[in-house]
Amino acid sequence: MTDLIPVTALGDATPRRFSAGALTLCENDAVAFASLALRRGAGRPAPFGLALPGPGGWAAGQGVAALWVAPDQWLVEAEGRAATDFAATLGQAAPGCSVTEQTDGWVAFEIVSQAGPQPLEALLEKLANVDPAGFAPGRATRTALHHMSCYLVRRAAGHVAVLGARSSAGSLWHALATAARRLHANAA
Amino acid sequence: MLIPHPLLGPRDAQEFVCLGDARLIERPDPAAADAEAAFCDYVFLRDNPAGVHRELWFHEHGDRSWLVVTRDTVTHAVLGAELARDVALARVGRAP
Repeated sequence: MTDLIPVTALGDATPRRFSAGALTLCENDAVAFASLALRRGAGRPAPFGLALPGPGGWAAGQGVAALWVAPDQWLVEAEGRAATDFAATLGQAAPGCSVTEQTDGWVAFEIVSQAGPQPLEALLEKLANVDPAGFAPGRATRTALHHMSCYLVRRAAGHVAVLGARSSAGSLWHALATAARRLHANAA
Repeated sequence: MLIPHPLLGPRDAQEFVCLGDARLIERPDPAAADAEAAFCDYVFLRDNPAGVHRELWFHEHGDRSWLVVTRDTVTHAVLGAELARDVALARVGRAP
């Protein structure tokens, strides 16, 4: 049988980490994604007891979270379940909905600040078209970052996740790490 | 230029793709007797007003919704935006 070697989206054996000043970037290879869409006229389900958020929202529940991506459509995340068939599990939890596996289409980079929201907001200001005043914890938005379409999720005041296309993971990491390094170099 | 997205609030025009005249929603009936002439007009003829114009915009780097944006082509002022889905449903007399 073919001997396959698992690699992360960046092609490494282990998730990549990078620190610059107060900011730490970390590739999250453990989170599973599945898209959840309602059929026409269907009621809104509550998979795993999660209250699905409204436009521009992100909501976390027990081991799962969801971000609004379009009218009647959400991207559901499950931490630590990338190696499982999460779409099948979600399909059972949301009967009658259209569920599509998304784990292998995306890469998740978690950016955590050890010095409160300021360094994180300074980084976002350089990178993407988000208004920090309207991007409180619990908000998620899709926008272009270095011409790549990404979801930005404000998980906490000092924690933002960037979800991008897995095929351009290297370019996205380069954009984030370079901006974080320059921000730290200019501040020093 | 900011587009007042009905669901997401003001969003930068860079996130959108403009697809032109919103009359594209009014697709002729292909089963009608004059379908050929109607489709010829539908496909090839566009008004080119100096002033208020309704256009289809696609929120590509966003929630992928189609919007009908009302815009003044002389001043570039954006006068409003609504979901194209709502506009299309209202046209055939159905609630969004």
